[in-house]
Amino acid sequence: MAKARITYHGVGKRYGRLWALRSVDLEFNAGEVVMLIGPNASGKTTLIKCLLGLVRPTEGHIAVNGQVIGTDPAYRTDIGYMPQISQFPATLTIGQLLEMMADIRKLGSDEREDSLVEELGLTAQLDKRLSTLSGGTKQKVSAVLALRTRPDILVMDEPTAGLDPVSARRVLDRAVGLRDAGGTVLITSHLMEEVEAMADRVAYLEDGVLKFLLPVQEILESTGSSRLSQALPRLLEADTCTMSYDS
Amino acid sequence: MLKVFKYTLIDLARNRFVLGYALLMFLVAQGLFVMEGDPTKALLSLVQVVMALVPLVALIFTVVYMYDTLEFTQLLAVQPMGRKSILGGQLLALAVALLIAQGLGLGLPLMVHSPDLSSLILSVSGSALVLVFAALGALIALKQREKARGVGVALVIWFVFVLLYDALLMWGMFTFSDYPIEPWVVPFAGLNPVDLARIMVMLQVDLAAMMGYSGAIYKNFFSSTGGMLVAGTIMLLWIAVPVLLALRVFQRKDL
Repeated sequence: MAKARITYHGVGKRYGRLWALRSVDLEFNAGEVVMLIGPNASGKTTLIKCLLGLVRPTEGHIAVNGQVIGTDPAYRTDIGYMPQISQFPATLTIGQLLEMMADIRKLGSDEREDSLVEELGLTAQLDKRLSTLSGGTKQKVSAVLALRTRPDILVMDEPTAGLDPVSARRVLDRAVGLRDAGGTVLITSHLMEEVEAMADRVAYLEDGVLKFLLPVQEILESTGSSRLSQALPRLLEADTCTMSYDS
Repeated sequence: MLKVFKYTLIDLARNRFVLGYALLMFLVAQGLFVMEGDPTKALLSLVQVVMALVPLVALIFTVVYMYDTLEFTQLLAVQPMGRKSILGGQLLALAVALLIAQGLGLGLPLMVHSPDLSSLILSVSGSALVLVFAALGALIALKQREKARGVGVALVIWFVFVLLYDALLMWGMFTFSDYPIEPWVVPFAGLNPVDLARIMVMLQVDLAAMMGYSGAIYKNFFSSTGGMLVAGTIMLLWIAVPVLLALRVFQRKDL
């Protein structure tokens, strides 16, 4: 049986009168990639933010490696996060930003995975100010920040948005590499091709409710489809989508 | 906290707004001293400029900076670091950057043209106003989700403290001049950090007489050691309370 690295116990989040997340119970395991999908405003980002400690659940709790997360930020040592939109201090250079984050995490040079800097073509740009970078280059910086700590848990929010295809592939390959090394990778995406290619399981959220969390293969087989883009609508239409959340 | 402080300060050191503020203060101060032959008169004009400009700049800059760096603050908040360290480091860097800009822009001309205690009091009062209004700016930015609304609230606060409060106080003093209101004047003036700063400088320049009826009351109270202590304590509270509230709000805020 797979080992649960992250556990959501009845997690709900309310903003004013609107429930963005309702009674979510689920587990993410070590050594898997889970794609979080769903329509806009379905609760994907809130689900992630609750784990990252950016948002406090209104109800329920989350455990990482068996420890319920609270106000102690220490558990975030194991987490790498690549946000959808990357905004950095305008006048710092890429090099200064990387140094700052290494400083904050107390990372020695031997503890950093800096090969991605080279791989994404950032080496020659380390002295460039962050305000002068294109959106795509900012995403590359963001990917480096998320991956260079070799985290046990990697959270990526629309990671390929704005990236060129080659860089996108390299970043996703790194994520898969982390999974293969026993990491837990959570990715939100609207691109079904990406999901299908790398996900072990797919979590579908709608109106803050987790509709299902199933292995990709099971989704395809149960709907008789060859592609996720065809399978998901069928699955959602069918009553069977009140399914178990087990892997 | 020191790491956030260090890199935020590096970022702010090259911020155009901060550099522009230093230059503006320098030009205004230098201009007043050069154009006005009498340093005391120049200082008096400078007091009025400082009391209006410093709160406005500190408020608006802090509010705008906090909104503009929100995504980066989120990125910091997912690092293994407490939120108090993040906001503490950012606020400290903002305060230090503005104080350095003000020190260069205002302090240098004061040191050159009017190197006396009055100038020192003006510098200290101006610095205290930077801290007070930067703290209020942070609190506003954390309480208001939208940037436009945050800036609007900041402008209202500036208007109240710099203009409206005085107008209401004057109106009250005239309206109730037949009654023994002296005991109320000092506390009411002292509650406004801008008034408090202005009074301290005016008393030092010995221009309390120009402040008329209220000037005599202020002089009686604030020129005493006890009065100075009360004034310092109120100013410290104006800095500490918004900072503590901002830390509390940030600790619980959904980012």
